[in-house]
Amino acid sequence: MTTDAPDVSVDDLLLDGRIRLEDLVDREALEELCKSFGTLFGIPVRIYSSDGALLADAVGEHELCAYVNTTPDGRRACASVVGTVKGRDPGDGGDVVHPCFTGAVYRIIAIEYDARRVGRLIVGPFLPAKVGEVPASLLAVDPRFEAARAQTLMGRMPGAKPETVTRIAAHLQATLDLILFSGHKALVTSKMHLASVKESYRQLEDKTTRLQEAFDRLKELDRLKSNFLATVSHELRTPLTSIIGYSEMLSEGLAGEMKPEQLDFVKTIHEKGGQLLSLIMGLLDLSKLESGTMRMTMRDARIEAVLGEVSSTMAPAARKKGVRLEVQVAPGLADVRGDPERLRQVFLNLVENAIKFTPSQGAVTLRARMATDDLPMDDEQSGLSVLAPAQARVEVSVSDTGIGIPAGERQKVFDPFYQVDSSSTREYGGTGLGLSIVKRLVEGHGGTVRIEGNEPHGTVFVVSLPPSLATGVAFTKASASPASA
Amino acid sequence: MQINFGGREIAIKLVYYGPALSGKTTNLRSLHVLTSEKSRGRLMTLETKDDRTLFFDMLPLILRAEQQKAGGASMTLRVKIFTVPGQVLHASTRRLVLQGADGIAFIADSQVSETEHNAASFLDLRQNLKDLGLSVRQMPLVIQYNKRDLDRVRSDEEIRVLASQGREPVFKATAVQGTGVLETFFGLLHITWTKLDREHQLAKLLGIEPGEFLPLAARQMGVTAEVSTLLSSCVGGLGRADQVAP
Repeated sequence: MTTDAPDVSVDDLLLDGRIRLEDLVDREALEELCKSFGTLFGIPVRIYSSDGALLADAVGEHELCAYVNTTPDGRRACASVVGTVKGRDPGDGGDVVHPCFTGAVYRIIAIEYDARRVGRLIVGPFLPAKVGEVPASLLAVDPRFEAARAQTLMGRMPGAKPETVTRIAAHLQATLDLILFSGHKALVTSKMHLASVKESYRQLEDKTTRLQEAFDRLKELDRLKSNFLATVSHELRTPLTSIIGYSEMLSEGLAGEMKPEQLDFVKTIHEKGGQLLSLIMGLLDLSKLESGTMRMTMRDARIEAVLGEVSSTMAPAARKKGVRLEVQVAPGLADVRGDPERLRQVFLNLVENAIKFTPSQGAVTLRARMATDDLPMDDEQSGLSVLAPAQARVEVSVSDTGIGIPAGERQKVFDPFYQVDSSSTREYGGTGLGLSIVKRLVEGHGGTVRIEGNEPHGTVFVVSLPPSLATGVAFTKASASPASA
Repeated sequence: MQINFGGREIAIKLVYYGPALSGKTTNLRSLHVLTSEKSRGRLMTLETKDDRTLFFDMLPLILRAEQQKAGGASMTLRVKIFTVPGQVLHASTRRLVLQGADGIAFIADSQVSETEHNAASFLDLRQNLKDLGLSVRQMPLVIQYNKRDLDRVRSDEEIRVLASQGREPVFKATAVQGTGVLETFFGLLHITWTKLDREHQLAKLLGIEPGEFLPLAARQMGVTAEVSTLLSSCVGGLGRADQVAP
């Protein structure tokens, strides 16, 4: 069975069985805790980790101990006791008493956390009972020790009953337990946080990989589709050219005189053939644009000239429908870098559309002006001299007074084959390819196209194109007074 | 389950799973209150300020053989009870907590309105187990219908019918009052122990007689009720011989 298990487990994060005192408590804070106990009860307290490292220490040397350490033999004997105490295990009961030759004792008590030993507490030296005689064991260490002096110093050593020490140790244990628990909880929380984030990241990564695979597959399918479209369009065009050519020759009487009715039929064949050809050309354009194989000859082009050509081409159609067609070009218009033939195709398409959707007595207006892109600019216009040239645009709008496009549909109309009214009884014909070709052609020129509403009704298509860098126009805000052309 | 011979310790992990706000943490809190201090450690809750479980809650129980066996040191049994965060967004944490579980108590909300959340959480459990390479059929599992004290809950009769059709023992509880909490826990402990003991001879390792475990656990946890009484409060889930047998 394949598993998708996380890298870590909560048991690892809980440090189960691997809790170390020194990982959970701050050493300085532990030292302070020991000192406060030492001060409160007058008895030295030391805390050792389970592997024997001294973690905290509140030991002021007793006068008796200092006296013992004045002679080499005394020093040796003292060091031996202290060394044994340091290494002594608290036994199964977790609490042992270790005597010193001075008559004082040490208590070695296990520190437990979560029912496991994590360290040792060493309390002492202290006198276990009322001060009695100086023990012979002390005087035997070095004959130079004076009994009377030792007796005096012994009187100054703190004493405590075993049950008192047990209570002190229990209190210290309880305090430590609380600190350990808080530390443990904080540690687990932060580790858990990290692990959760890591686990989420791992899952996200898996998902991303799967999405990427799906995306690559779709891209490949899309490429195949475009190829297919290009091939089919090409194959359709060849026989269609013959149909159009022969029907044209027939209608021109090259194969002999025809009856008026026959001529009518042949002309219909010719006309519909032409429509079919333009549809196929559109498909071909689209597939070329989608596959990136559309060839464009880029040079500096005058938008004014392009718009003039478009206007004269479309003038008869506009006149026929009773629609006013106007071109307004603002002064100081920069050239654009582009393929004039393709740009003409863009605006022809837009103007044709505009005329189609504008009722008689309406108007279609082509306006060209310089504009700046809406890059975020702060109030001081800092960096304007660098940013402004990159923001300058040649903006051409095609506005009509037609039926308009609802705001929600404005993005979709650029999708191939999309029709705002896709019912079978729709009023306006068309393949739905024109605008998607426009969008791709404009984008191929590094420009953008967007749709705005025209008040009170109608649509404005705004094509924004980067200016040619060769013309060196002044990068100012667009002129507000467009001149009629 | 983890056996640590060096540390003379066996650790088993029980997980309380279920939809958000079904009372998983409340079960643990009640269990904490209902058991004696000697056998349990501190309840560790990692929660947000609005009392929702952020990562998990964990209650450790420590059980030991009461009589030292001659000729060998016996081991300690550490039972760690976890809750998972129920909220949907903590999916990754649930998987982390679920990993290595030996038994699962699924805490369902009895309210009829929570039906879909219960089901979604159970499917989530099943999927997570699957992702971890485990199967819900092999996992010792008990179901608790919690919040019996509320209005608009599934009736006892409905639960009886539902339970009789399912594989898992079902317990009814009002965790906030402590009712049904021990029953659920012992039901889960019983089926988990039965499975693990069969696979790893835990009784022998712990130095106790087989069949002695549950009464021992109850004694050490300070539970005065008879274990058989606790277990017999379950409904359904008797289709499997190794399940709860009163």
